[in-house]
Parts: sequence; structure tokens; C-alpha cells
Amino acid sequence: MSAETVQTIIDDLGALLLFTMILIVAAGQIYRAIYAVAAQSLLIAIAGGVLATSTGNKDLWVIAGLTLGVKATLLPWVLHLVVQRMNVRREVEPVIPVAATLALAVVVVVMSFHLSASLGSVQPAITGNALPVGIALTLLGVLVMATRKTALTQMVGLFASENGIFFTAMAVTQGMPLIIEIGVILDVILAALVMAIIVLRVGSTVAAYIADLDELRG
Amino acid sequence: MTGDRPLGLVLLEMTLLVVLGPLVTGTIQKIKARLQCRQGAGVLQPYRDLTKLLRKGTVQADTASDFFWLIPVLVLAATVAAGALVPVVRAGPPAVPLGDALLLLGLLALARFLTAVGALDAGGAFGGMGASREMTIAPLVEPVLMMVVFSTAVAAGTTELGALAAQRGTSWLLAWHAADFLGFAAMLVLLPAETGRIPVDNPDTHLELTMLHEGMLLEHSGPGLGCMMLASHTRQIVTLGLVAALFFPVGPADRAGATGLLLGTGAFAAKILVLATFLALVESSYAKLRLFRVPQYLGVGFVCALIALALRIL
Repeated sequence: MSAETVQTIIDDLGALLLFTMILIVAAGQIYRAIYAVAAQSLLIAIAGGVLATSTGNKDLWVIAGLTLGVKATLLPWVLHLVVQRMNVRREVEPVIPVAATLALAVVVVVMSFHLSASLGSVQPAITGNALPVGIALTLLGVLVMATRKTALTQMVGLFASENGIFFTAMAVTQGMPLIIEIGVILDVILAALVMAIIVLRVGSTVAAYIADLDELRG
Repeated sequence: MTGDRPLGLVLLEMTLLVVLGPLVTGTIQKIKARLQCRQGAGVLQPYRDLTKLLRKGTVQADTASDFFWLIPVLVLAATVAAGALVPVVRAGPPAVPLGDALLLLGLLALARFLTAVGALDAGGAFGGMGASREMTIAPLVEPVLMMVVFSTAVAAGTTELGALAAQRGTSWLLAWHAADFLGFAAMLVLLPAETGRIPVDNPDTHLELTMLHEGMLLEHSGPGLGCMMLASHTRQIVTLGLVAALFFPVGPADRAGATGLLLGTGAFAAKILVLATFLALVESSYAKLRLFRVPQYLGVGFVCALIALALRIL
């Protein structure tokens, strides 16, 4: 594939990634957010495959496969299981109204595009719009984490944020060392498992959600 | 000004849109019925409804002013005029300067305004409620629609729809810019709102709690109601045609002669059929949103359109 084709494909994937991110921010129900983050991970895996064929970096294939297996399949499944097992409220509980979060999301996206437009001489080394999209995804993931009350949706935000960092790392550096990527994925799995265990455990022993504990503060 | 589409062709396209409008509604109803495991009425049912209405007499509220009977005619005229601005069988600017996408959106907004004024004029409670709701939704839909148009117009350097479609050429998905994906996503979110369908409005019911557009038609009767219904069919196909012209200009053939025209018509019909199927699927798989949740739903479209515009400019 020529460099221009790769750049176009990465740009298009970036737009679709932003779309899934907007769906996560706007999701009114937990299930939709989980499906959106699964779709996002799938797009990341596709981007990994595209970059692997264009750069000839074999490690990227491994990373794309891991992303597909772990982040697009396993982790959404774990979240799904927790939602079913816990019988939690299906609605997302935002701290500020979802419409306000959406407005903030626009500001974040425009600012990250503005920031990377001012990069200047470094820019040609980066594939297409990958950097601003990556920054936007990361920050929006943090935004989701900050504006949601329940642990599950905060977890979705963490995954989205992680996806953003992954995308940036893949597209900007043409693939980080394999060991680092695997370490990052292991960290995410660990975080998800710890979250699942804590949510299930606290739920079964105390019969209360973590968010409810906040109300105990004097 | 030289153009690719002579006035005769433009008029032919406009007539085609008006004639085919009810068929699109009928197709959507049919697909919905099949998805609900019903036989459903035939696809020609909207035509039968229209001819039935045009034969009937008119009953008018005592409180309605003399202006009231003019409303359906004006609404239909504005919508049909909007239909003249959409390229159907062939891309390229028209031979006579007609107007651009902004005029199209303006005419649709004018039709919407006249409908609301008519509903208020009759003095019925449901009409007023429908009008107030429609006017709550409209300011959320129209700017986003305009931004989607702008995000494609910035790339083409023109807002004239025919020229815009010609500029994009016969390219397929591979030639889409990143902003096109987001713009199209915004358009898909807006489409049910603009055509008055679930999850924003429910076209099948006359229950006062759910209706927006139907509520405003309650006071009309006979040929007036027929005009209003024909106008809403036309509005729907014009909106679908706008989407087709903005995002899938693959069909409109450059070849002159009968084969080119037939090819263009076939491609246009295929595009409209795909979009109509999408609408039917959305209507069958989602519940209607509460009125106060609608802004959040449209907010997704707004954000997508804004980011699409930002991607074009930055």
C-alpha cells in the first residue's frame, strides 16, 4: 500500500473512532457504552492490521490480534457479565447532564486538533490525523471517567482512554516495542479483573454499590 | 451561465420526486409491516389515501381565519419548490440559476413554519401542542443539517447541490474523506427527526402524547389534508435526495441520452430504497424517545457535524 492510502485509511478509522467515542459519551444505558467501546477496540485492531501491512512490522500483527481478542471480546464480555450478575441500574448516572458532557467533548476535540496543528515541523512524521484523534480519545475517556458516578461506566471510560493511547502509540511511533504493548494490555486486564471482583464482592457482602458508599460520608 | 441540466430536465426531476414521494412512504410502511410479521397495506396505499382525500369535502373550524385554507397550498408549493433544487438523474449545475442547498433548507423551514402557523390558526389544543413541540425540535435539527451541508460544501467549494454532486464525481466509499464519515453519521442521526419518524416523532399515531407532525394536521380536512400529506411525502423524499446528493453521488450519470437518464433514475431509486430501508429498520427497532430526551439524541448529531466541520477546516 502506498503511504497516501494508509494515511487516508488511518484518517477514516480516526473519524470512526471519534464517532464511537461520541456514542460512549452520549450513551444513556450501560450496555450501549459497552458495545461502543467494543466497536472502538475492533477499529483499533483494524488500524493495527493496516499499519502492520504498511510498515512490515510483525509485532503490530501480534498487538492487533491481542487487541481483538482481549479488548474487543474479553473485556466487554466481563463488563457484560458484571452488569448481568449485579443486576445494577441499566441507566448511566452522570454527574453533570449528558448534553453538557457532549458540549465539553466538542471543546476537547477542537482543542486537540488545534494543538496538533501547531506542531509544525514534527507533523510530517505522523500518519495523518492520528495524533489529534489519539489525544481527543484519551481526554474524552478521562472526561467520561470524571462525569460518571458508577464504577462500571468509569471502567468504560478507562478502556476508551487506553484505546486512545494505544492508537497514538501505534500511529505515531510505527509500533512500540512488543514487550511494552503486552505489559499495557496486561495492566488493563488486571484493572478490569480487580474492578469486577471489587464490584461483585462489595455488592455481595455489603449489599450496596460503591457509589452508594459516598452517601455515608458525614 | 451554462449548466449540465436544462430547465426541462429540472422540471422532470421535480415531477419525479413529487410522484415518487408517496411510494417511498408506502415502501417504508410495507417493510415495517413485514418486520412486524404483518401482511400490511400495499405500497400504493398512500396514493389511494391521497385520491380519497382529494375527492372529499372540506370542514373548517369556526375559529380559523381566511388564511387557513391557503396554508396547505403554500406548504405544498414550498416543498415542491425545494424538490427542484435536488439533483436526481444527473449531477451538474442546472442551466438556469435556481438556488442552492441553503435555499432548499430555507424552503423546508418555510414549509415547517407555515404548518405550525396553520395549526395555531385553527385554535385547536392539539394543534397548538403539536406546533409548540415541532418548533422546539426544529431549531435543534436545522442548524445541524446546515452544518452537515457546509462540511461537504467546504470541500467542494460550492453550495449548489448539482455542482457539489458533480464535484464529488462517481467516487465510492474509498474516496470519502474522514469528515464524510462523521457528516454521514450526523445525517443518519438527523434523518428520523427530519422525516418525522421514530425515535423523534411517530407518523402512525394520532395519540396526543406522541405526535408532533400529525398533531398539526388534525384541523385540516379533505383536499387540504391531502395537500399536507403530499407535502410531507415530498419533504421526505427531498431529504433523502439531499443525503444521496451529498454523500452518494455515484449514480447521476454524465452520459447524455436516454440510457444516461435511465441509469441515473435507477441509481437514484436504489439509493432512496437503501435509505428508506434504513428508516424502516430504525423505526422497527427503537422506541420513541421522551420529548425531553430528544435534545440529547440530537446532540449526538450536533457533535458529529461540528467535528466533521472542524476536520475540514483545521
